[in-house]
Amino acid sequence: MPDDLVAVFAEPDAAASALRALREAGVPGARVVSPAPYPAVHLTGQPGAWRFLGTIALVGGLTGLGTATALQVITSRNLDMIVGGKPPVSWPAFGVVMFELTMLFAGIFNFSALALLSALARRRVPAQARARVETERIVVVVPAAEAGGPRQALIRTTLQGAVEVTP
Amino acid sequence: MSQPDLTRIERDTLATMSSTSRLYWAGLAVSVALVALGGWAWSLALRRGLGVFGLNEPVMWGALITTFVFFIGVSHSGTLVSAILYFTRSPLRAAIGRSAEAMTVITILTAGLYPIIHIGRSWLFFFVLPYPNQRQLWPNFRSPLTWDVFAISSYVTVSALFLYMGMLPDLALLARRVTGWRRPLYRVLSLGFSGTDAEWTLFEKAYPIFAGVVIPLAVSVHSVVSWDFAMSVMPGWHSAIFAPYFVAGAIFSGIAMAILLLSGLRRGYALERHITPAHFDLLAKLLLAMSLVMTFVYLTEFFMAFFRGSPAEVEVFTWRATGTYAWVFWLVMFCNGVAPLACFWSRVRRSLPALIVISVLVSVGMWFERFLFIVTTLARAYDPANWGNYRPTWPELLICLGGFGWFFMLFLLFVKIFPSMSVAETMQHDHALTLPAPAGGETEASHA
Repeated sequence: MPDDLVAVFAEPDAAASALRALREAGVPGARVVSPAPYPAVHLTGQPGAWRFLGTIALVGGLTGLGTATALQVITSRNLDMIVGGKPPVSWPAFGVVMFELTMLFAGIFNFSALALLSALARRRVPAQARARVETERIVVVVPAAEAGGPRQALIRTTLQGAVEVTP
Repeated sequence: MSQPDLTRIERDTLATMSSTSRLYWAGLAVSVALVALGGWAWSLALRRGLGVFGLNEPVMWGALITTFVFFIGVSHSGTLVSAILYFTRSPLRAAIGRSAEAMTVITILTAGLYPIIHIGRSWLFFFVLPYPNQRQLWPNFRSPLTWDVFAISSYVTVSALFLYMGMLPDLALLARRVTGWRRPLYRVLSLGFSGTDAEWTLFEKAYPIFAGVVIPLAVSVHSVVSWDFAMSVMPGWHSAIFAPYFVAGAIFSGIAMAILLLSGLRRGYALERHITPAHFDLLAKLLLAMSLVMTFVYLTEFFMAFFRGSPAEVEVFTWRATGTYAWVFWLVMFCNGVAPLACFWSRVRRSLPALIVISVLVSVGMWFERFLFIVTTLARAYDPANWGNYRPTWPELLICLGGFGWFFMLFLLFVKIFPSMSVAETMQHDHALTLPAPAGGETEASHA
């Protein structure tokens, strides 16, 4: 099975230029590994399941809201005492904890979603290519399926700015 | 334009981790000594009881609760400023965001100690937590003190996650760079982040959602702390202005502390290239703006008290300015209302020594301001037969000093173990400066 083509660039702009050239050459599947969010990482069509992030945070927020409501209502009914002239279930007073737990759970769900979806997303790039990235090294990966065949020479030409291309 | 020197950026941003100056060791030694003193004073309270404190009837909240409110205030602005700078795409965030976020987490951890110390039998603090037990000591969800537990624990969790999320790319970089015991630590903490385009996309989409969660939470936490006071019917406390007043005061004291921490980092680690006079100029303008807001609030409080004419309110506010604690009142007015006015002059805003002096004054002023409104209301409430005074004892003062030592010790340890500036954001920012300006538009460099 042929390997993916891995090009290592020393400058962010060189990697971005190579990606643009690859796209113009009809090679849309290239991937980037970068130490910082340079413009190059935005030239690959925003891969990853990021569209779920907002929904997951919303679900987290609703979970927090439900948890806070249940905790306060069940607890207060269990004790069933009137304190400060307020009935056991005092919705205005409960609003604070409901708000706090809504935000807390939304944040925790958002963070967990980022960790989980990132772990799934990074598997699309071979580990050997990911290991090559450094502070001054940006890696462009052309999948084997697109790197071979008659376009191979053209692709290698577009990667001329790289300091290293393997294989 | 030429490409940025990425190796130099990495070296600069990781400077606090890679070198340890004498100043650092001196700061750490002083901090640890203060913590030891504070710990010893606390042990006195644990062994002998609350009698070692100056608390009495009617002043049952004193220096410890003052320090709690002060640190919660300082914590407020770090994450808030960082999140706002993120949404405004400010180039300042790369330099100051990480330190501000770390300051938030560390100050909440410090603040949280004080109510636990204040209750005396500290080992029973878990009574306020919402768990079922056989004696049915359920927490009272109608009490602002219970709201506080939820607000502060939510805020510390979310702030810590916000700080951690922003550090993921840097931790991944460090896992490749360092050796020894730190390598597995960073590898685990980075959660496998490797910098693929899909991960960056997820990161850039998740981060603003989290920042959007953080901002209202930051505003809420200090509002809830203010309601510990404002929900009572005590003169001087029972006011609708308290929540915005506390939020403004929190931002004010937080900016002063951020200036102090950043000036220390800049001086100690030669970060002049990254933490520039422009950063301090902006922070000084914010400090000035918040000082004006605070002065307005102080005047409004007096105006409302005298216009309303409630004898108890008039008595409390008159006594604040002319009674036993008048020196505290005028010190607060000078530190919070007068000294920051010097920031109207650009030369002051760009002078680091001047800003350090003003920030120290503001920090002192804000601590005493918390002290003033807590103590004077309790000491001079409705019943003249129950009026009294409060003087903090030396164990209380040592515990308060110990809190400052604890805060600086944790911050110094943080910058030794984790980058005090975002490496990835600095690289992105410096690279953006090299890009040509779009036609008819400004470059990011011109903003910077």
